[in-house]
Amino acid sequence: MLTPLQSRQWDLQKAAHLLNRAGFGGTPDEIKAFCMLGFDRAVQSVLDGPDDSAQFPKPAWAVPRNQVEMRQTMMLMTDADRKAMQQDLQKQYRQNDMDLINWWLGRMRYSPNPYREKMTLFWHGHFATSVMKVHESYLMWMQNETLRQHAFGNFGLMVKAISRDPAMLIWLDTRESRKDHPNENFARELMELFTLGIGNYTEADVQEAARAFTGYRLDPVDESFRYAPMQHDTGEKHFLGESGSFSGDDVIDIILRQPSCSRFIARKLWEYYAYQDPSPALVNALAWNFQMSGYEIRPLMNAILRSAEFYSPDAVRTQIKSPVQWVIETSKVLETAMDRPQVTVNALRQLGQLPFAPPNVKGWDGGRSWITTSTLLFRYNMANFAVGNGPLRMEQFRRVANNNPNPNPNRNTFDAQNFEGPNLARIIPQQVRGDPRRLIAYLCFRLFQDPLTPRDTQTFIKYVSDHGTDDETLRELLHLMMSTPQYQLT
Amino acid sequence: MSDSDHIIEPHTSTLHTRREFLRTSMLGAAVSFTLPVFLQKTFFTLDAMAADSAVQTITGKDGPILIVLQLAGGNDGMNTVIPYADDAYYRARPIIGIKKETVIKLNDYAGLNPGLAGLKGLYDEGHLSILQGVGYPNPNRSHFRSTEIWQTASDSDKVETDGWLGRYFDSCCKGAEPTVGVAIGNEVPQSFASSEPTSVSFSRPEQYRWMNGDRTGASEQVYREMNTPDPTDMRMLDANDGGSIGSLSGPPISSRHGETNLEFLQRTALDAEASSDKVLAIARKYPASVTYPHSPLGDSLSLVGRMIAGGLATRVYYVSQGGYDTHVNQVATHARLMTELNDALVAFAQDMKTQGNLGRVMLMTFSEFGRRVTQNASNGTDHGAAAPMFIMGGGIKPGLFGRYPSLTALNAGDLAYNVDFRSVYATILDRWLRAPSKQVLGRQFPLLSLV
Repeated sequence: MLTPLQSRQWDLQKAAHLLNRAGFGGTPDEIKAFCMLGFDRAVQSVLDGPDDSAQFPKPAWAVPRNQVEMRQTMMLMTDADRKAMQQDLQKQYRQNDMDLINWWLGRMRYSPNPYREKMTLFWHGHFATSVMKVHESYLMWMQNETLRQHAFGNFGLMVKAISRDPAMLIWLDTRESRKDHPNENFARELMELFTLGIGNYTEADVQEAARAFTGYRLDPVDESFRYAPMQHDTGEKHFLGESGSFSGDDVIDIILRQPSCSRFIARKLWEYYAYQDPSPALVNALAWNFQMSGYEIRPLMNAILRSAEFYSPDAVRTQIKSPVQWVIETSKVLETAMDRPQVTVNALRQLGQLPFAPPNVKGWDGGRSWITTSTLLFRYNMANFAVGNGPLRMEQFRRVANNNPNPNPNRNTFDAQNFEGPNLARIIPQQVRGDPRRLIAYLCFRLFQDPLTPRDTQTFIKYVSDHGTDDETLRELLHLMMSTPQYQLT
Repeated sequence: MSDSDHIIEPHTSTLHTRREFLRTSMLGAAVSFTLPVFLQKTFFTLDAMAADSAVQTITGKDGPILIVLQLAGGNDGMNTVIPYADDAYYRARPIIGIKKETVIKLNDYAGLNPGLAGLKGLYDEGHLSILQGVGYPNPNRSHFRSTEIWQTASDSDKVETDGWLGRYFDSCCKGAEPTVGVAIGNEVPQSFASSEPTSVSFSRPEQYRWMNGDRTGASEQVYREMNTPDPTDMRMLDANDGGSIGSLSGPPISSRHGETNLEFLQRTALDAEASSDKVLAIARKYPASVTYPHSPLGDSLSLVGRMIAGGLATRVYYVSQGGYDTHVNQVATHARLMTELNDALVAFAQDMKTQGNLGRVMLMTFSEFGRRVTQNASNGTDHGAAAPMFIMGGGIKPGLFGRYPSLTALNAGDLAYNVDFRSVYATILDRWLRAPSKQVLGRQFPLLSLV
């Protein structure tokens, strides 16, 4: 069983840790305010954050494509007009994809409830669906809203919602699954990646489950889920040791009764928030309560975020920032605006985590796979851009694929964009600039929320002592502090 | 590797190799017990090297080089090496089949895609071999699972983490420069994954370096210091007993490699720092010796050619060409891919000849699977199984190897393999890289007469 953290153990470092992991970090003032809430209220604010929907309304383009109407319109056109229209649409769609990504990144950055966004990002990586196959920003946006709605809710309801989700119906071919030709794609990933994990079901279970998900269709007019009873296989299925004329929802209910399901999800959440390779005892303790609660996510997260293990040395500042975490957290700690969408999107692509475009249905491997010699140097150079040192020279994007069967060569180059960087007067107050020691301690807290080793501290103190505290030096100092292995951790 | 092999003048404050770094650190023997785990390991490895006959010295100036070219997405093998004399081919592919008169004949049964004329030239010169019907038992038709099987050389019902080349690095390249494995791009392929990870990735040498906003050069010094492990890192010590071996209790959260995430980052940072100096120096000094086609693959192979010319200490390069997942209207797409492949390979072969290095290189293509025999309803092809591989180089035995799989005796609608891809790996390991394939692949696969 997990040990709850005692309220009196709550301090600035733990507040920073909770803010980093449950959200995307914060400024020194935000960390202090969060700490002042006290342990109980801080955790409470993560679990019951405000609804930010009014602040982030549905984008204008997020409307269904009426396929029937579009086909009719195009049929009446000349070939040349049709081609021109298709080209216009393609251009529009590409722009929508960009808007979609930036709409979400903006929500992560500016939402008063970043905790729900962080959790939504988890579920996006879990039910990994890519716009590269779905091709419709609207459907991706809608799936994102579904994940957000269930983010802290009930896992079983979320799986059922996802099984009917239009983007998922396209992504894993469920919409093409017919009674006489059941498609196994969704059924397989449902068990392998979404609920049970490999080894906890048989090939026969995949085939039987596939039959249960036949007849799931997309409405051609409003692109919503439609159930086509004539295409559904109503026959008896034998699934995970049970028999009956199961529907898709029945199959999900049977899956949820398997202890391996609660363990699979509890472990994955722990690894996302705390650390890799938790002990089996820890996973079992979490999973037991998760299953007993009927798969309620909020109490599970409550147990995780209140546990002493979550604040242990195994967890604090041991996690490699995902590219999204790096970008959002950097924008927060430097108090810079996220207003260079092209740079951000291209950087995330290079760093290996473009939201709405995971490499495959497994999602992002995460952890150490984020870091190669080239992505590490790219992070350092992205930091150079973020502090306002100059343009980021983007290479033509080319994905050398491992686990990426559909590399999409996007050979757009674009003009390097300049960025003014942080307001130094604001993020490095005058009163800390006088004493190099104090300046470095202050910046360590802002960037790492933790002191560096004596050698590293000394290195930076010497740099400031030698070069002063003019704006140019301070920018380079920030860049140097971010060009470190330490800054890649959170 | 001796100091004379350094290809650029060492920066005064730069530790160019891990070994140099170790030598420097060892001057203060008292601090050696605080070395991060990866350095300790390297240290022990160096001692063990002399005793271990499998360990190879990689200088970049001599010795064999392997280039692995992944055709990502599942290349349509039947439209690459075409069984033009078989009516069953045209029956299965009435629309997308390559017309008999355009096929470049290899023998009276099979021939090459019309886009591969340059490869036929290499074949005739004796620098290309073509393996037919390569695959593995119980084929998996998932892109990522089948890619994983090819990358790890596992049986299709076993999941392994380390890659086949990573295990070669582990067995034979201990203590080598991190550039022993180079992936062109931002990702490191799973085939490089190893228990003591070593390898670098980059795609544009001029950007594979640390950029800064400092005009004085002073920050470069700080950057190098911060990206070289701190041998006096106090967190490794137990403050209460006067600096005894803190790692006895283990660092927090050790991975399966006994390395914390911070140590992993420090190691990668050191690899990035040391390799970027070398890569940049070579890139500045060695332009491509021939003109490469303007395609992503052309760019990648051009870069590989320059690194070989400059003698980067590398045993394996990894490049990739994507876009082979041709489910819909594949004819034009596949023709373009074949032409890009052909042009890039021909340029690379020419580059190697010009450099005088053709005899040192072997390039191997692979794809996670071939495609279905029968075209689908969208004039494309779905995921299949066995497919051909190309092996190119100056030191190979040329020819057409294996039998073309039967187009009628199918395995669940797919071509049945007759050469296990691990036999190809085993041959390359044993005969080309001079590595014990049985040790690397876990068992002995039959060798082919490729080399």
